[in-house]
Amino acid sequence: MSQRRSDRDCAQLADAAVYVLGALEREELTHYREHLSSCAQCRAEVAELQPVVDELPASAPPAVASAALRERILTTVRAEAELLSAAGHEADRPARSRARWRPRGDLALGVGAAVAAGLAALVAVLIVVGSSGHAKVTVTEGEGLGRARRAHVSLRQRDGRAELVVAHMPQPALGRIYEVWLSHGPQDARPTNALFSVTGDGSGAVGVPDSLDGVREVMVTSEPAGGSSHPTTSPLIRVALPS
Amino acid sequence: MPRLRRPSANSKEKLRKLADEELMERVAGNDADAFEVVLERHADAAFSLAYRICGRRSLAEDIAQEAFLSVWRSGARYDRARGSVRTWTLGIVHNRAVDALRRSGVHERRRASDEGIEETIEAPERTDTQALDNAASDEIRGALGELPAEQRRVIELAYFGGFTHLEIASMLDTPVGTVKGRMRLGLNKLRGQLQGWEAVGA
Repeated sequence: MSQRRSDRDCAQLADAAVYVLGALEREELTHYREHLSSCAQCRAEVAELQPVVDELPASAPPAVASAALRERILTTVRAEAELLSAAGHEADRPARSRARWRPRGDLALGVGAAVAAGLAALVAVLIVVGSSGHAKVTVTEGEGLGRARRAHVSLRQRDGRAELVVAHMPQPALGRIYEVWLSHGPQDARPTNALFSVTGDGSGAVGVPDSLDGVREVMVTSEPAGGSSHPTTSPLIRVALPS
Repeated sequence: MPRLRRPSANSKEKLRKLADEELMERVAGNDADAFEVVLERHADAAFSLAYRICGRRSLAEDIAQEAFLSVWRSGARYDRARGSVRTWTLGIVHNRAVDALRRSGVHERRRASDEGIEETIEAPERTDTQALDNAASDEIRGALGELPAEQRRVIELAYFGGFTHLEIASMLDTPVGTVKGRMRLGLNKLRGQLQGWEAVGA
């Protein structure tokens, strides 16, 4: 066993086990990582113990991921793959000609592709609704997304549920959050309790909790954390639904 | 622009022959079919881990979903030099599950009552299809079972319970230094046994 202590042992050596188990206090973590960068002995200890912790998941009682869970994940992934593929291939072309739609019989989903031209920072949103093969398509160009050079937005609907998926969105400013609104007509913006942020790479997804029946537009604004009952900024994203 | 379509059975079979690391290169290139194979291989392990940690099926599903979407969206950040795809994926699951636990009331309740974790988990759905994974599972479970109870307890409270060392010390009414020492002793003992298996297996 390697439990001998000597005067040359680093005083923080015992923290390696705590660290690899994820059990350091949040405040300790930064300091510990700094320490690791300067202490070869502790780095070696972490390198020895990490593989042990990597085996621990196998001790969990085996359970089965449901087919519904797999399908939910794949549905999002396939939609995003299509979105990014569309954006990636057409990013250099003018915004108006970029939004395109190819019918897909296998997914009862609407997929939108929005690509903002570098300087104009426009968001073009393309929506496909329905699964009948007679999907209606509208394209809108929304407000600018500030510094966002390429923001992709899709609103996907299935079984009466809708989900807004974004990629390459800027993170909301400190203390703010994105809020989803439903508009039934001019001057109408009803709050939903759908608040979301985005990851470091600008991706995010949020379920739209309310029915889209009769909704003309889905909008996203930046609001103070906690959300607002009336929009306090102009929409960053506007998705016009086919009437 | 390439037409998007369901993969043919043929291309799926080809993908299934690839190693995880090769699949991840394709995932980084936005290949949803390659991702599907990664998901097939690791979904059960990811869900099992999330379920073990948070003890609630719906929450575990949310965590597994978030984690796999993160794997999909950050596939380009996967670095094979730092471990297997499975280890990387399960690390993401672990982080998210522990975060969720710390945010939820479940954690507070468990801390308050010191009821540990095992007791609050519903009976898992075991299946025979998991037999393949069972060899590795049996080994690590066996090794954990052989640890002195107090070492096993601090390791499980930390890793599966999401408790920090200070919380564990307080829950067990044990000095912090002792808790750290037990973690270190326990992990070292497990390491010895894992190396033993490798030597035997080689």
